[in-house]
Amino acid sequence: MTGVAVQFSGVSKKYPHFTLQDVDLELPTGSIMGFVGANGAGKSTTIRILMGLIHQDCGTVHVLNHTMPANQAAAKRDIGFVSEDMRLYASLTLAWHMNFVSSIYPQWDRLYAEHLLRSFDLKAERKIKGLSHGQRVKAALLLALARRPRLLVLDEPTTGLDPVGRREVLAELVAVLADEERTIFFSSQNTLDVEQISDQITFIDRGRIIDSANKETFLDRWRRLRLMLPLNTALPQLPGVIEVGGSTRLPVLTVNRFEPAMVAVCQDAGAAVQAVDAMTLEEIFIANVQSRREGVVA
Amino acid sequence: MNTFIVTRLILKDWYLNRTLLVAAIVTGLLTLAGIAASKGNSIALILGIIVLATILIGMGAVIMSSMVNERKQQTLPFVMSLPVSYLEYTTSKLLGSLLIFSVLWLMLLLGMIATILITPWFSNGLIPFVVIMLVEVLMSTCLIAAVSVTTESQGWTIGVAQIGGLALNAVGFSIVRLPDISHTMRSRTIQWSTTSIVLLLAEFGTIALMLGTAFFVQSRKRDFV
Repeated sequence: MTGVAVQFSGVSKKYPHFTLQDVDLELPTGSIMGFVGANGAGKSTTIRILMGLIHQDCGTVHVLNHTMPANQAAAKRDIGFVSEDMRLYASLTLAWHMNFVSSIYPQWDRLYAEHLLRSFDLKAERKIKGLSHGQRVKAALLLALARRPRLLVLDEPTTGLDPVGRREVLAELVAVLADEERTIFFSSQNTLDVEQISDQITFIDRGRIIDSANKETFLDRWRRLRLMLPLNTALPQLPGVIEVGGSTRLPVLTVNRFEPAMVAVCQDAGAAVQAVDAMTLEEIFIANVQSRREGVVA
Repeated sequence: MNTFIVTRLILKDWYLNRTLLVAAIVTGLLTLAGIAASKGNSIALILGIIVLATILIGMGAVIMSSMVNERKQQTLPFVMSLPVSYLEYTTSKLLGSLLIFSVLWLMLLLGMIATILITPWFSNGLIPFVVIMLVEVLMSTCLIAAVSVTTESQGWTIGVAQIGGLALNAVGFSIVRLPDISHTMRSRTIQWSTTSIVLLLAEFGTIALMLGTAFFVQSRKRDFV
């Protein structure tokens, strides 16, 4: 397991109305994985299994060389976890929470905690119930980050944050990765956040991993080809076409295995290539999900 | 079992409940002082007993339902993000709640015994009955804890707390009718009859059984959050 922070092999979990199926995941040490899916796709279930809070029905999970959920307590000594549904004790101050967490983690970094207080503009003496939603999220992140965890697991950490708060949080996550041994597993519906900081991206939909690769591969291999077809000219046959939009004369092809040579193939088939558009991660995610749901083989 | 983390979690719950606990102890002791000062006035005695019973049953329900509250207030993910297994968490909740409640319970038990012994208005023979009834309150509180921990349901916890409160009256009436108890209640000396000892043993046995069952059920759970 050297060099691998998180490994899922054939993990499944069945609920009455939802099933997580055959999840295989591998997260190398020192990388940031953006875990993207719609509501109810299975992101939180996967993360709870990763944290040992839910027992998988089958398959194996290893986190930082610990078998989960059996060794969850040992694994969590090196994990910082923040989830969207996590709340701190409303009647207590942030300072109390910092003292509490620092008393449990010998590696608690007091100077870094103070730095985070300043950069997140938080006051330690304030009670949690007096904080805004954004401040509460930052407080939870502070408590997770100052533990200096080897693995940071974040379940929708930027949900509900304003643009400035989101930027501050993302900047801090990037700073965390200055330490090459630190790994981040980061779930979000916000593909813009994921695109900004992740180097590995995994899409999940309806309980299944539908695609997983490094970010550059995703962005490089997905393209929209805007063609102009003369009358009586057939659409060129290209590999990896997952969607054909536009009109008969002006088709727009979405491809997930783009190669520059495809332009020449189109031209040879008599089509004029008007544009080759790069796609955002959000466009890639939506096209990917739709094509899987419609059963298009990509 | 990581006793360090269990201790930290118990201290955390102690800190969260500290104000309520101090308020309950002060109110309880003031009530006992009021009963002692009433010179055996039956209205003051009845009111005092109602206040003491309310404090014990109410505080028991509040302290013991902390696991349900932790889930309801969504602080459970924070606690479970710490290096703790679910069995350690359960241990901290059951032991912590019992310890916190026991402080109040013991203070009021000793306060009641002292009131009976010090004041001339009450016969010392009441003490075995008072002890049996207070252990019954402890038993009812442990039942709330076991149900709260295993079901994690506010509905079940409230339901059991209410049933426990009602059962207390029924148990009290039944015990007071037992000849061994009723005959010794007005005695000037404390008399531990066989019946009172059997009742106490049965109560402590039931407490152990309930807590053991709660641990067993928790150890078999697969999903925690």
